[in-house]
Amino acid sequence: MADQSVSRRSFLQGAAAAATAFAIVPRSVLGGEPAKAPPSETFACGLIGCGGQAGEDLNSYIKHWGADFKVLAAADCHYGRLNNAKKRWGEQVELHTDWRRVVERKDIDVVSIATPPHWHALCCIAAAQAGKDILCEKPMTRFIAEGRAVVTAVKRYRRVFQIGTSGRFGACKSGTSRQIHKIMRSGLLKNNCQGVFIQKGGFPVKRYCGLVNAKPEPVPKELDWDMYCGPGPLRPYHHDRFGWNHRFYWDHEGGALADFAQHHMDPFQWIYGKDDASPVEIESLAPPAHPECCTPWAWVELKYADGMTLVLDGNEWGPRYDRKPARHVKLEDLDAESQKKLAELPDPEPLLTFPEAVRQRKESGGHVEAAHRAITIAHLANISIRLGRKIKYDPVKEEAIGDDVANRLVYQPMREPWHL
Amino acid sequence: MPASAELKALVDQIPDHAKGGSYVNLTPETGEAMRKLAAEILKGGRDNVLGIIEMLAEPKEGQPIADIKPHYALHILAVQVTGTGDDKARADVALAIASQVGGDKPKAIQKYLVQELGVCGGKEVTDTLGKLLLDADLCDDAARALAAIKDGAPEVLLAALPKVKDRARLSVVKKLAVLKCEKAADAFKQALGDQDPDLRIAGGWGIARIADASAADALLKAADGAKDWLRINLTDAAMSLAEALVAAGKKPEAAAIYAHIAKTRTDPTEKHLKDAAERGLAAAK
Repeated sequence: MADQSVSRRSFLQGAAAAATAFAIVPRSVLGGEPAKAPPSETFACGLIGCGGQAGEDLNSYIKHWGADFKVLAAADCHYGRLNNAKKRWGEQVELHTDWRRVVERKDIDVVSIATPPHWHALCCIAAAQAGKDILCEKPMTRFIAEGRAVVTAVKRYRRVFQIGTSGRFGACKSGTSRQIHKIMRSGLLKNNCQGVFIQKGGFPVKRYCGLVNAKPEPVPKELDWDMYCGPGPLRPYHHDRFGWNHRFYWDHEGGALADFAQHHMDPFQWIYGKDDASPVEIESLAPPAHPECCTPWAWVELKYADGMTLVLDGNEWGPRYDRKPARHVKLEDLDAESQKKLAELPDPEPLLTFPEAVRQRKESGGHVEAAHRAITIAHLANISIRLGRKIKYDPVKEEAIGDDVANRLVYQPMREPWHL
Repeated sequence: MPASAELKALVDQIPDHAKGGSYVNLTPETGEAMRKLAAEILKGGRDNVLGIIEMLAEPKEGQPIADIKPHYALHILAVQVTGTGDDKARADVALAIASQVGGDKPKAIQKYLVQELGVCGGKEVTDTLGKLLLDADLCDDAARALAAIKDGAPEVLLAALPKVKDRARLSVVKKLAVLKCEKAADAFKQALGDQDPDLRIAGGWGIARIADASAADALLKAADGAKDWLRINLTDAAMSLAEALVAAGKKPEAAAIYAHIAKTRTDPTEKHLKDAAERGLAAAK
């Protein structure tokens, strides 16, 4: 592209003809996926979303873990942000207003997704279908069925997926956490787990309430608002829905729960062995939810089939959770014979970093099923809050039981031309 | 029906929002009061629902939002009535809302009403939503609401199919795919040959969703001849179809799809497809 600044017109006229002369040869062209690549390997990356968080995952999950990356292409529906991509990642970056052009490129190994969350699932699925490995910002999805569709696509094509949070990498180094993990994964507790984990605070409940008085505003000329809204409803533009504050609206994210639960639940799930499970009963304390804007909540109690209780206590609004005290799972929860059996079981495998996982073609520590199950917790909590009632959930079918309306939030049909 | 003074007084009891514009100022007590208020409004039945709808106002650029409380109130009603276990009450609310779409109310208000039908509506409103499929401004919203409702939606979408064009056709075909409507099999096959690439993708996805083995060859042909985004999507549809066929016990049909993909995706940049197809082929034997 001769003119490196971007406007809507220049993209319409020139995007199709754009060519790249950059010289990183993707691994696929070099004969697929070698069992072991040199540690100095540079990943050829594409960025989807060029806002504040763009590229952070490349630093956190590639560079921080000893490998390197080069950004070859970037996409954003805000032309101003897109134009900054070259300044941030170099002149070689080819710019696209439509993220699908990044996924189509054959010279990209890794796609890093840092859009608002209502786009995450579709970008992840397309990247997997195109044979890319994936770094996805949290929260992984906006509703539960999106997560299952991402898992299916990633597993179908055996892509490496790492969610944009790393709490479990620290948690798995703690002796206490490793012991709890081992107990929980052993199956020796059967369905008699007495653990109560209370996540107290860490959710900016009050800050994350949307504006119910947001007057429609003219769409900025540098923004493709239709593309921004994407699979969600096409709402009148308001600046609060664009940029950081999109978090406060159901269409784009889902409030403090959606924004922070992936961080908090990532280590919880590893420690308590819940990477392939979801709660079966969900109850919350909150006022009636607004149809479009996130509103405050006090706490959510989530029970698992094995007896484990998880509590998300906002600790900001309304009464504190006081139904049960927190209680760790302990070795003494097992009888003597079970303790012996536990001692004979192997320790948990170390978690692979993203570069290690790519090289070995194995799951990364923050793998897709774990990430999906972690954010499912937030989605279930939000469903209970939005409907103002207790939800029963089937973690295998991934459906609410006996609540058709809850299932309308589990799977939310998309605006054309998008689908899962 | 204009809102009665009593209804206006009830709706007005919904708290004002906080100074900043959000409802951060709600308390557990005001939340509980809002639920009681909704129950009280529901006692007034259809008239009260219609009255609230009359209080809705079209949002306009630069003008203050004039219907914050009724907007909120209608949603609380729509949600709350689905949790009462009283299906007649739920259907009555849905029918009252449905009676106000399709007329001359501003489209922005109708879109909101359709959204709320997607919350509380059932089979009783699918015909009304079906008529909106012919309205270019409301088609996408109506199709999404129908897909959320499910019960009775496939029939309505199928009936609309011969009458819709362009983007509306895409909405209808896609939502038939969402609903796994086997009666739409011919429509999915036909869509594969459409000039609109999005419709071709919708057709492929629909074929996969209903596990239509008879369309496998057409799907593979369409995928083989496609490039870039279209090729990615149609090949994935073929892979999904094969998986669905395995799940349905049709392993030979699935194996044929896998074998074709394994044989044809030989470019190094499509190695992930070849590998996935070879794994599928091994599992389908």
